Amino acid sequence: MRRAFPIFAIVFAVVYAVVYAVSVWKNYALFTYHPALNEFGMGVQKAKEGPAMYWYGWMATSAIVASLAGLVACLLPEQAARRLWPGLAWLVPLCAMLFFAWLLREYFLR
Amino acid sequence: MTTVLLIVHGLLAVALLGAITHQAASVLWPAPRPAGSFTGRFRAVAAPGYANTVVILYVMTAILGGVIYAEYRVNIRIVLVELKLDAANGSFELKEHLAAIGLGMLPAYWWSWRQPDGRLRAPLTAMLAFIVWWNFLVGHIVNNIRGFGS
Repeated sequence: MRRAFPIFAIVFAVVYAVVYAVSVWKNYALFTYHPALNEFGMGVQKAKEGPAMYWYGWMATSAIVASLAGLVACLLPEQAARRLWPGLAWLVPLCAMLFFAWLLREYFLR
Repeated sequence: MTTVLLIVHGLLAVALLGAITHQAASVLWPAPRPAGSFTGRFRAVAAPGYANTVVILYVMTAILGGVIYAEYRVNIRIVLVELKLDAANGSFELKEHLAAIGLGMLPAYWWSWRQPDGRLRAPLTAMLAFIVWWNFLVGHIVNNIRGFGS
């Protein structure tokens, strides 16, 4: 547990940020929520009445993939796990934050 | 009901803002002990003790925000679009993404405050503090533009 949690936490932070950014960019939502109808649907669905919300689905996709990646990383031999630079836990999310600022730039440049 | 949830969401965010700001100030700008001035005492808190509170408050604030977000998408966002308030709209879009990225950082953040050397503390705490401040200010501004029940 003492050895496994830091590996899980670092891999989770890295993979979650990457998968979330890709999920938003390519719209890989695990499910869609239709708030006007209070209805959920599997995968990416078009808007019915009112808007379709993918945010919850993007987070679900990211959390599942990151959890699996974290668990797999915990199974790696100690020597391989030592090569994991802990700084990735902040560097990759920082890059994801900058990516979203770039992705949404049109809102601020109009 | 949504208005009540929004107020609770705001109150949790205020508590989170206070906790993460104390902690970020103490790790980025350590104060000499004993601290004499007001700013010195602000920075001289026992920062590790805030980590559990920050994680719990962040998760609770995010869950409540997620609950009332549907109301925003149905009734508020459309008004921002019609009024061509692109910067406010984009700022809120960024808020939702930053909140999600912050959730993914929480396990590493929590673990960093359990370590004696704590090299990860400063960057992770600073980033979470930035996310919390951005989300608080944007939420406050958007609520001022088109608060619930208006």
